Amino acid sequence: MNGSLTFLSVAPEIALAAAVVLLLLVEVTFKPRAWAWAVVAGAGLAAGTALSAWQWVAHRGADTGTFWNGMIAVDGFAALAGLLVFPLAGLGLMSAWRLAASQGRRGAEFIALVLLAAAGAHLMAAAADFIMLFIGLEVFSLSLYVLAGFTRERVDADEASLKYFLLGAFASAVFLYGVALVFAATGSTTFYGDGGIADYLAGTVIFRPGVLLAGLALLLVGLAFKVSAAPFHVWAPDVYQGAPGGVTGFLAAAAKVAGFAALARVLTAVLGARADDWVPAVAVLAAASVVVGTLLAIVQDDVKRLLAYSSVAHAGFILTALVAGRGGVGDMWFYLATYAVQVLGAFTVAAAVSGDRAGRSPLAHWAGLGRRAPWLAAAMTLMLLAMAGIPLTAGFAGKVAVFRAAIDAGYLWLVIVAVLATVAGLFFYLRVIVAMYLASPEEGASLPASPAVGWGARFVLAVAAAATLVFGIAPWPLLEVLRDALPL
Amino acid sequence: MPQTDLSAYLPIALMFVLVVGFSVVSLFLARLVAPRHPTPEKVEPYECGIVPLQEPVQRFPVKFYLVAMLYVIFDIEIVFLFAWAASFDDLGWYGLAAVGLFTFLLIETLVYVWRRGALDWNLPRRRRYQRAGAAAGDAERTAA
Amino acid sequence: MTVNQFLILGALLFSLGVYGVLVRRNAVAVLLSIELMLAAVNINLVAFGSLLGDTLHTGHIFALFVITVAAAEVGIGLAIVILIFRNRSSANVDELDLMKW
Repeated sequence: MNGSLTFLSVAPEIALAAAVVLLLLVEVTFKPRAWAWAVVAGAGLAAGTALSAWQWVAHRGADTGTFWNGMIAVDGFAALAGLLVFPLAGLGLMSAWRLAASQGRRGAEFIALVLLAAAGAHLMAAAADFIMLFIGLEVFSLSLYVLAGFTRERVDADEASLKYFLLGAFASAVFLYGVALVFAATGSTTFYGDGGIADYLAGTVIFRPGVLLAGLALLLVGLAFKVSAAPFHVWAPDVYQGAPGGVTGFLAAAAKVAGFAALARVLTAVLGARADDWVPAVAVLAAASVVVGTLLAIVQDDVKRLLAYSSVAHAGFILTALVAGRGGVGDMWFYLATYAVQVLGAFTVAAAVSGDRAGRSPLAHWAGLGRRAPWLAAAMTLMLLAMAGIPLTAGFAGKVAVFRAAIDAGYLWLVIVAVLATVAGLFFYLRVIVAMYLASPEEGASLPASPAVGWGARFVLAVAAAATLVFGIAPWPLLEVLRDALPL
Repeated sequence: MPQTDLSAYLPIALMFVLVVGFSVVSLFLARLVAPRHPTPEKVEPYECGIVPLQEPVQRFPVKFYLVAMLYVIFDIEIVFLFAWAASFDDLGWYGLAAVGLFTFLLIETLVYVWRRGALDWNLPRRRRYQRAGAAAGDAERTAA
Repeated sequence: MTVNQFLILGALLFSLGVYGVLVRRNAVAVLLSIELMLAAVNINLVAFGSLLGDTLHTGHIFALFVITVAAAEVGIGLAIVILIFRNRSSANVDELDLMKW
């Protein structure tokens, strides 16, 4: 153990955990005003981002280094996850700020939970051992379960929380059983190094191949649950619809980033030697997600529910990159980063339209938004067009990158399915846009109070719009950079 | 992996199948053969006697659950101290520092839970704490 | 002692847990079933940890982490169940139908 580097390897987590401890202690001791929460949370997230940036500069494109006896990986992959997750948590907090501030003293807990979720998400990406991956997964998931039901007097939020919890805990147990079987087959839970899983699987003799395959399948199922890939997506629509509007964006974006980061490292770096086993399964999951997500989104009348099914479809698109194995990881990151920003932006608009605390966001709320709140409608339109994959938006660049990766890997049929789904998906995205600009509110319909946008939400929308346009028009620099973010 | 290991269990497996099969078959046959004329009285748990007025199991106040939940968490986390104690000599000062940090975090949580009023049995005090934050606009608090 | 005994015991417990999750209506019973699944995981981990002669005791340590995280999970799960119970006096999963399930 070379002291200082060892601690620097988990410095982002330490920074966020320290911020959480400080936040809660300050909260119960001084009962400060809300801006004090923002200062502590902002400092923690800024420190986490800065440390990740430092790791990125120092380790991009280099071999993975492991610390703490092979528990924590330091590489471009983990650093990039930090660079994505921590600013995302900051944006999520800004988007949810009015919700947090409206919760009185519990607001500090809200912020602490977001910070913990971010730390857990980064740990999932930086884990070099299934034990660490499991701990990161649980820290992350447990925080999100509570956030989903944070407005505790609203019954549908409670329901969302319970459904998310029960299905999430079930998925965690399935994932763990998979880990236990992989441990049984390989005799290790560590990813890298001598005697690690990757090392063992690269060998010629594999004892208990059946146990290994079963473990692999259960691992895949558990993680597919977390990223809401079909047929393991049933929780997503209810959770997105029921959770308070302010947190849904962060919930959706962070779950995707963390889940796919873990999935990508486990599949490509650890089980890379068994690619023949998992690539077909991932391809089927991707096709199922794309088709199911698109078809079910078409029949939805609630915008948050529609976005949930669209997120299932997007999980499919991101999985499409993973069939290319290591070659697709950079494309996965591009799609993931741009989609995370889009979904955060879209749910921020939904929160403004239907209320920070409200769960549902029926299409009727959106009628005539183009006249009532032109800027909101414009931002939502941009996000929806990007999700649909219209050229000159980041969504288009992401889809092209992902499809190219899959074609290079020889999965033409998957790409054809995905392209067809993209075309069909235009329908439901356009439906929302049409409602915003062409429909007028029904007579006597009880619309929520006129859309109110805090400055935090405005900032989020500005960032989301800028990122969507910039990376849509000129995606190459980012795509080039992201190729250094491989789990080696 | 020698699959033959399992052959020793064949009689047990056979027995298992027989037992399950016999019970399933007899239950099924009983259903098939027996006459069934259900009346409201027959469906009651006790066909005669006084009709029960309430479920026998009484419900506990929710605050018991709150304490129970906190207990479960604080109780189980102590498990890490066993692992530390088992290799105390190897870990030395480093281990002591790590466990100290861990304990600090546990105590910090306890302080938070305490100051937040979760350990108070009489609810008015909890309400008062929460009202202290009412300035920020949490009118809808559902205490207890 | 053979490997298969533990694999089979673990698989049986795990299947029992899955069955419980799918069949039980009460949220607390579902939670219990999930705990059963975690117990199966622990059996596998500890059994293989000792059978493989792992000098790092990975399996045992992992089991400790599973136990502690499961406790945290139960804490949060019960809190959510109590919340639901307070709001609608029932903890039955199939009555949670405000949204399409």
